[in-house]
Amino acid sequence: MIKITELEKYYRTEEVQTIALNKLSFEVKQGEFVAVMGPSGCGKSTLLNILGLLDDPDGGSFIFNGIEVAGFNERKRANLRKHNIGFVFQSFNLIDELTVFENVELPLIYTGVRPADRKARVHEVLEKMQIMHRRKHFPQQLSGGQQQRVAVARAVVNNPKLILADEPTGNLDSSNGNEVMDLLTELNEAGTTIIMVTHSEHDAKFSHRIIRMLDGEKVTENILVNA
Amino acid sequence: MIRNYFKMAWRNLWKKKGYSALNIFGLVIGITTASLILLWVEDEVNFDKDIVDKNLVHYVPTNQKYDGEWRTFYSTPGPLAAALKEEIPEISKAARLFTTNFMFASGDQGLNQLGAFADADIFDIYGLHFLEGSAKKAFKNKNGMVLSQKTAALLFGKHQQALGQIVQINKTENYLVTGVVKDLPENSTFQFKWLAPFERFTAGKEWTQGYENNFADTFVKLTPGADFETVNEKVKQILPTKTEDYDTHAILHAANDWHLRSDFKDGKIVGGRIEYVQLFSLIAIIILIIACINFMNLATARSEKRANEVGVRKTLGSGKRQLIYQFLAEAFLTSILAAVLSVALLKLILPLFNNLIDKQLTLGIDEPVHFLSLLGITIICGIFAGLYPAFYLSSFKPVDVLKGSRRQAGSSGFIRKGLVVTQFVVSIVFIICTIIVYQQVQHVKNRDLGMDKENLIELPVNGEIIKNFDPLQQTLTASGMVKSVGLTNSHALSGGNNGSGLKWKGGTNTEEILVSYRYVNSHFMKTTGITFKEGSGFNTAVENDSLNTIITESFAKLMGEGSAIGKRIDRWGDIYTVIGVVNDYLYGDMYANSDPVMFFNSPSEAQYMYIKTNPEYATTEILDKLKATLTIYNPGFPFEYSFLDDDFNARFKSEQLMGNLSQIFAFLAILISCLGLFGLSAYTAEQRRKEIGVRKVLGSSVPGIISLLSKDFIRLVLIAIILAVPLAWWFMDNWLQSFAYRISINWWVFAFAGLAAIFIALLTVSFQAIKAAIANPVKSLRTE
Repeated sequence: MIKITELEKYYRTEEVQTIALNKLSFEVKQGEFVAVMGPSGCGKSTLLNILGLLDDPDGGSFIFNGIEVAGFNERKRANLRKHNIGFVFQSFNLIDELTVFENVELPLIYTGVRPADRKARVHEVLEKMQIMHRRKHFPQQLSGGQQQRVAVARAVVNNPKLILADEPTGNLDSSNGNEVMDLLTELNEAGTTIIMVTHSEHDAKFSHRIIRMLDGEKVTENILVNA
Repeated sequence: MIRNYFKMAWRNLWKKKGYSALNIFGLVIGITTASLILLWVEDEVNFDKDIVDKNLVHYVPTNQKYDGEWRTFYSTPGPLAAALKEEIPEISKAARLFTTNFMFASGDQGLNQLGAFADADIFDIYGLHFLEGSAKKAFKNKNGMVLSQKTAALLFGKHQQALGQIVQINKTENYLVTGVVKDLPENSTFQFKWLAPFERFTAGKEWTQGYENNFADTFVKLTPGADFETVNEKVKQILPTKTEDYDTHAILHAANDWHLRSDFKDGKIVGGRIEYVQLFSLIAIIILIIACINFMNLATARSEKRANEVGVRKTLGSGKRQLIYQFLAEAFLTSILAAVLSVALLKLILPLFNNLIDKQLTLGIDEPVHFLSLLGITIICGIFAGLYPAFYLSSFKPVDVLKGSRRQAGSSGFIRKGLVVTQFVVSIVFIICTIIVYQQVQHVKNRDLGMDKENLIELPVNGEIIKNFDPLQQTLTASGMVKSVGLTNSHALSGGNNGSGLKWKGGTNTEEILVSYRYVNSHFMKTTGITFKEGSGFNTAVENDSLNTIITESFAKLMGEGSAIGKRIDRWGDIYTVIGVVNDYLYGDMYANSDPVMFFNSPSEAQYMYIKTNPEYATTEILDKLKATLTIYNPGFPFEYSFLDDDFNARFKSEQLMGNLSQIFAFLAILISCLGLFGLSAYTAEQRRKEIGVRKVLGSSVPGIISLLSKDFIRLVLIAIILAVPLAWWFMDNWLQSFAYRISINWWVFAFAGLAAIFIALLTVSFQAIKAAIANPVKSLRTE
C-alpha cells in the first residue's frame, strides 16, 4: 500500500540546514499495523506528515496505492487525503466550536456526502465508539479519553484505507490509553492499515511491526509475532 | 453547507462575546453614520424632483460685467420671458415671477403668506397639479388667484371649499380663487403659497415694461430634444439685441443644477452644495472603512487562536475555498447583526439628526431604495471586512500549525499596523478639520459688521405702518423700551437693490461700478449703529433731502482725494449732493467685501422696520409693548418679527452644519479607532503573556511592562500624525481659499490634534497594558 524509497526532507533556516529524513526507505502492506518509534527529533512526525500528504518530500519516491505522489500539488494531495487517510492526534485537535456529532461529520461534508447519509454514518460510528450519548456535547465537556474516541471516530468515519496516529495516547491516562489502543486494534482487524508514531513501548506492542528511527534514518525493524 | 457556515460563525461570535461586541459596535457606528449621511445626500440630490420634465426646465439668470468681472444675478427685465419664447423656437414655455408677501384677511390677525405674481406658463413649466380648477382657466380672470393646498385649507377649512371664494389681500385688494394646486414638497427650490397673474402686478407700473430694470425671475421650458448649449447660446444673444448693452446677457440655469450647482464665478457655474454632498459621501465611505478595519485587524490578530482549527479542517479535507467561505460567513454575520442594530439605532437618533441638519428625513426602511442601500452597505462591509482575514487565515499550512511552529507574523503584522495608522490618520484629520472649521465660522461671526446687530428687532413694513409711522415711533420711544426706529427698503444684511451707470468727477470708469441703493429714514443710521465719518444725517423733513445722499467710506474713496462732502453724483440724470459719509458695513456675502452704498432719504419705500431696544428691559416686555402698539397703528396685520443677530447666525447655516457634522465625525472616527485599538491591545497582551511573565520573574517593574506594551501602539499613532498633518493642511487650505475673509491656519492646531490622538490612544492601550502588567506571572507561566 505504501512504498517509500530514499525519502528525504530538509529543514532550512537562514544559516543551517537540518536533515529530518535521510534516504528513508520502507514498505507498508495493506492491513498492517506499524509502530514508528524513536527519540524526539528523529523525524517521526515529519515522516507522518509526508505519509499523511500534509507535507512534501524534498527527494525520493513515495508510492501510495500504486501511484507516485511525491510531486503532487496541494490540491491533488488534499483530494487524495480526504478520501483515503484518517488522522488521530496526540492533542485530539477537535474543533471546540463544533459538537461531537459535527466534529465527526466534518470529513463527510468535505467529501460531499449527502446530509441523510452523513447522519446515518456518523451515528453508526458514534455507536461503535460508544459515545452516541455524548453527540450533542462540545469537546470541552468531555474527558480526555472521550475526546480521543471522538477523534478516532472522526478519523474512521470516511472508511479510510489508512489511519495515521501521532502519539494517540500521549495525553491520556493508562486506562483511557488502553481503550484507545483497543479501538485501533479493532479497526486494524477490520482491515484498516494503521501507522502509529509513539514513545510508548507498551502501545507499540499492539502493532505488527516496529520501525525504530534515529536522526532521520531507519535503525531497526522488529516484527512482533504475538501482537 | 451555507447553513453550516453561518452556524459555525454564530458559535464563534457567541464564544468570543467581548471581541464580537467590539466588532459589531464598531460596525453599528459605521453603518449608522453612513446611513444618516446617505439619507441627507438622497434628500439633497432629490431636490426639485417633483418638477415634471425636470430636464427641460431652466431658470434664467443674467450675467453682468462690472469692473471687468462677470457677476451673476437672479433677476431679469420684464419683457425677456416673452422675447425668449417668441424668438427661440426651442423654448416652448416662458414665465416671469415676482415673489412677495401677501397678508390674507383671516380672523383678527390676518395671515402672511409668501407667493408670487406669475405668468400662466408657470403651471406647465412646473407641472403643477391642480386639485381644484385648471391651469387653462386659472388666470383667464385677471383677478384670479391660485392657492396652495395648505393655504386654501388654512383660509377655508378644507381646500375643496376654496374655489370661487373671494380673498382680501393687504386689506385693500380682492382676488377670486380660481384654482388650488398640490403643495410642492419641502425640498423644492421654488416655494409659494399663492400665485396671481403677473399683469396684475405690472398694471400701471411703467418701469416693469422696458429692459432697463431687472426685477423678475424668469423660467423657461425647452422643447424635448433641444440641445442645451445651442439654446443657451441663443439665450445669450437676446438681451444685447434689445439694449445694445453687450455687458449684460441672460443664460440658462438647468433645474437639475438649481440646488447643488448654484455658485457662479465669472458668469459660469463653479460649484455649490454639490461640494458638501461629495465631501459627506466620501466621509460616509471613510467611516465605514475604518469600522471594517477593526474587523480585519481583530480577525487577523486572533489568527493564532484560529490557526489550529484551520489546520484540522485542512487535514480533514477542507479546501481553501471552503475555509474562505467559512471566514466570510463570520464577517457577513457580524455585518448583518450590525445592520439590524443600526436600523434600531437610526430610529432613535434620526430625530436628533434632523434637528441638527434642519430637515425632515425619514428612515423608510420599507422603501426599496433604502432597503437595498442598507443591504448593499451590509454586503460591502461583509466582503470588505472579511476578505483579507479570510484569505490570510485560509492560507495557513496544516503541517505548520499542527506542528505548533509559529507562523510568520511578518506580512499580517505589517498590514495590521498599516490599517491602525490609516484609522488614526483619518481621526487626526477630522480633529484638525473640526478645529479649523470652528475657527473660521467664529472668525466671520466676530467680524466687525460695521453695524450693531445686538438688541435690534426687525419687522416687515405693511399695512398702515408708513402712514402711522410718526405716532408709532413716538409711542415706542416714549415708553423708554425703544431707543430709535429705522426704516429701509432692504433687509440690513441682504444684497438688495443695486445698479450702475453713475457719474462723478474724480473717478475713472465710474459707470461700471456697481453701487447698492438704500432708501431709508433719517433714523436708520442711528438705529443700526452705522456711524458718520463726516458730514451729517438726513433731515426728518424728507423733502429737504430730495437731492441729497449719504455714501459709505469705500464710495467716498472712489470719489478721489479730499472730503466727499459737497461732491455731486449724477444718477441717471439726477444730480445728488453728498451730505454725509458713513462707515462701510457688511451685507450680502458675509465672507466677501460689500459694494459701496448710496443712501436716499425716502422712507415711503420702506419694506423693513428696525427697532433698537433698550437692554434694560426684558425682551418679552418689549415684545408685548411692540405688539400692543402695532395693534393700534397697524390693525389686522399679524405681528411678525425677528432678531437681527438670529438672522445673522442663520447666514452661516452651511458652515455651521459642516462644523457640527465634522465634530460628530471626528468623535465617531476616534471612537471606532479606539475600539479597534482596544481589541488589538488586548490580543497583544494575551499573546505576550508568557513574555510578560518571564520579564516579571526576571525583575521588570509594572511601569516597565506598561511602557513595553504601549510603546508599539504609540509609535503607530506618531506615524499617523506625520501623515495626517500635511493631508489636513492641504485639505483645509483648499477649503479656506473659497472665502475672501478667512483665518490663517495655526501650527498649534496640528500640535493639539496630535497630542489629543496620543493621549486618547494611550488611555485606550494602557487599560490592557496595566491589566497584563499586574497579572500574577506564576499563572501565565503555568499555563504555557
